[in-house]
Amino acid sequence: MSEVLQKETMLSYIDGKVEPKGTSISIRAINERGREELESTPFPTRKDEDWRFIDLKSITKNTFVSVEEAGTEEVGDISNHFLPEAMNTRLVFVNGIYNEELSSISDLPNGVIVGNLADNTDHDSVKSHLGTITNYENDVFAPFNDAAFSDGTFIHVPEETVVEAPIHILNVFTDAEKAFYATPRLLYVGEMFSKSTIIEEHIGLSNNVYLNVPVTEFKMFTGSNVHHARIQRDSKQASHVSRPIAMLDKNAEYHSYTICLGAKLFRNEPRVIQNSEEVDFTVDGLVLIDGDQIADTHSIMDHRYAHGKSHQLHKCVVNDSAHSIFNGKIFVAKDAQKIDSFQENRNLLLSEEGKVNTKPQLEIFADDVLCSHGATIGQLQDEEVFYLQSRGLTEQKSRELLVYAFALESVESMEVESVEKLLLDEVIKYTNRDDK
Amino acid sequence: MLEIKNLHAVVEGEDIEILKGVNLKVNAGEIHAIMGPNGSGKSTLSKVVSGHPEYEVTEGQILFEGEDITELDADERAHLGLFLAFQYPVEVPGITNKTLLREAYNTIARANEREELDPLEFEDYLESKLDVIEMKDEFLSRSINTGFSGGEKKKNEIFQMAVLDPKLSFLDETDSGLDIDALKIVSDGVNKIAGPEKAMVLITHYQRLLNYIKPDFVHIMMGGKIIKTGDFSLAEQLEAHGYDELQKEFSLNGAQ
Ligand SMILES: Nc1ncnc2c1ncn2[C@@H]1O[C@H](COP(=O)(O)OP(=O)(O)OP(=O)(O)O)[C@@H](O)[C@H]1O
Ligand SMILES: [Mg+2]
Repeated sequence: MSEVLQKETMLSYIDGKVEPKGTSISIRAINERGREELESTPFPTRKDEDWRFIDLKSITKNTFVSVEEAGTEEVGDISNHFLPEAMNTRLVFVNGIYNEELSSISDLPNGVIVGNLADNTDHDSVKSHLGTITNYENDVFAPFNDAAFSDGTFIHVPEETVVEAPIHILNVFTDAEKAFYATPRLLYVGEMFSKSTIIEEHIGLSNNVYLNVPVTEFKMFTGSNVHHARIQRDSKQASHVSRPIAMLDKNAEYHSYTICLGAKLFRNEPRVIQNSEEVDFTVDGLVLIDGDQIADTHSIMDHRYAHGKSHQLHKCVVNDSAHSIFNGKIFVAKDAQKIDSFQENRNLLLSEEGKVNTKPQLEIFADDVLCSHGATIGQLQDEEVFYLQSRGLTEQKSRELLVYAFALESVESMEVESVEKLLLDEVIKYTNRDDK
Repeated sequence: MLEIKNLHAVVEGEDIEILKGVNLKVNAGEIHAIMGPNGSGKSTLSKVVSGHPEYEVTEGQILFEGEDITELDADERAHLGLFLAFQYPVEVPGITNKTLLREAYNTIARANEREELDPLEFEDYLESKLDVIEMKDEFLSRSINTGFSGGEKKKNEIFQMAVLDPKLSFLDETDSGLDIDALKIVSDGVNKIAGPEKAMVLITHYQRLLNYIKPDFVHIMMGGKIIKTGDFSLAEQLEAHGYDELQKEFSLNGAQ
C-alpha cells in the first residue's frame, strides 16, 4: 500500500497493529470483517457531504495506541459515579476494558443477562445479532470498532420480562502517558414485550487525549421497550465518535436521549430503523458546549413500514467558539404510509464566536404522512434577562435560569432521578464557569 | 423617597434623546399618577428608573432614599426596594412563577440581611399572598406569563409586587387590558399594598383607574418631560378636553 493511501485510512492515525483479538469465532469474524473494511475505506475529508462542516483535526493530528500500550493510570475510587438506583445493575469498563470488581450485577429478574460479551459468546442472541445491526455506508468508525473490540456489554431481556432498576453501563477513561483508542461495544437484545432502562455513560476522569469509538446495537423484538439515556462526559481533550443503532420490530418502542457535555470533538450518528409496522421511537439530544468543543449529530430516522411514530428534539447551547452541527434525516419509504414524525433542532447561541450549522432533512416517498421539521437559532432575549433582573435576580443568575429553562425539558426525560439531578448540576456548572 | 432631577436619557448607542429633563419627587405614603400621550416617554421613564440597560442617562440624577442610584444595575435597584410592573410583561417559558419569586425574594432578603425562606416556608408565604389579587394557585407553577391572557399578565405583575413587597412601585399601564371586574380586583390589591411607608407611581391613560386608586398628584408628561403637575382634577380635565388644550397652554407659556 502506498504512503499516500495509507495516510487516508483510519489506520494512519493508529500506532501499532489493529489485529483480531476476539477469543471467540464470532467476535474474530467481525474483527476480520472490520479490518478489511478499514483498509479499503478512505478516512472522511471535508469534501464528503456528511463531513463538510466538521473539523476532524482532533483525530488526525494525533496518533493513538492501544490501551495496553498507553501507560494508563489506575482507576482509583469512582464510587461517586455510581447511581444509587443501579447499585446492583452496573457494568464498569475502564478504558474500554471490562472491570469485574467495579461492576455489580445481582437481583436481576429470572433469565435476564447483563454481562460482558466475551463471557457470553455462546449465547444464541450474540451469535445471531452481534455485528448484524450496525449499518453505516462508507464508514471507517464502526469498522474500526468491529476490527478492534474483543469484549463489551451484552444485555438480554427475555420475553415479557421487565427490568425495573436502570442498567448502568459506565465507561470511564483514565489519564495515560500516550493518546489511546477505546472501542466500547454494546449488544442489547430485547425479546417480545420486554422492557428496560439503559444508562450508558462515558466519563473522562482526567483531561487527556483519547479516541472513544463506541458501537451500540439494539435488537428490539415485537412489543419490546427500551429507554436509552446516553451521557457523554468524556475528557475535554478527547474525541468521541459513536454509532448507536436500533432495529425495531412491530410495536417496539425505543426512546433515546443523548446528552453531550464533554469531548473536544463529538460526532454522534444515531440511527433507528423501523423493521415492521407500528413502532414508536425518540432520538432526542441535548448539547452543552463551550471553549473550542465541536459537537456534531448526524441522525437517521428510517421509516420503512406504515404506522410509525417518531420524535426528535435536538437542543444545543453553544458558548465561546464552540461549534454545533446538526443534520437530522427523516426517511419515509414509498409504502410507509401514516407515519407521524416530528423533528426540531433548537439552538441557543451564547457568544458571538460560537457557530451553529443545522440541516433538518426530509426524504419522503410515501404520500399519506404527517412529518414536520424545523430549526431555530436564537440568543438569550435581553428583555427576558431584564425582566428577571428587575425582580432582583443578578444578571448571572438570570442567564443561568434561562439556559436552565432551555435545557430542562431534555433533562426531565431521563426518568432516573439521580441522573436528572446530576445533569441539572452539570447545567448549572456550565452556566457558572468563573472565566465568563 | 424618590427624587428625579433633570433626567435626560438616550437609547444606548444611538442619538435619540427620549427623556429631556424629567423632574419628579415622590415621598413615602404618596400615590402619583403620570398621564400623557403615546410616545411621550412614560414607559421609558419607568425603565430608566428601574435600570434598563437599553437606555443611557446623559444628564441628571435619580436619588432613592437619598442615595444616587443612577449607575446601579436593575437587580441592585430591586434590592433597594424598587419595582416595575411592566406595560408588556415578558413571557419566560420554562421558568415558573414560583421559581422566579422564590429566587427573587431570597436574593432581596440576602441583600438586606434578612432571613431567607426555605421552599416550604416560601410556599406558605406565597399562598398567603394569593388572596391579595384573587390569583389561582395553579398560576404559581406555570411558566412566567407564558400563555397568560393580557389581563392575567397584568394581575401577575401585581401579584409579584405583593410578594416582593417593594417600597416604591412604578405600575406602567397596569389597567390597560383589564375588564371592569379585574380592574376592581387589581385596584383593591394595590390599595391593600399601599401604605404610609410605600409609594406608587401609576402610569395610565384613563381616569377610571384613578377612581379606584386615588392619586395625591397627577403629572402630565409630554415630549420627554413632565410639563404639568396637579391634583386629581387634572385627570378629570384631561378626560374632558384631551391633551390638545394642555399642549396649547404649554406652548403659550413659552416652555420648550
Ligand atoms: N429602544 C428604543 N429605540 C428607539 N426608540 C425608542 C426606544 N425606546 C423608546 N423609544 C421611543 O421613545 C418614545 C417614548 O416611548 P415610551 O414607550 O416611553 O412612550 P410611552 O409614553 O410609554 O407611550 P405609550 O403611552 O404608547 O405606552 C417613543 O417615540 C418610542 O418610539
Ligand atoms: Mg408606555
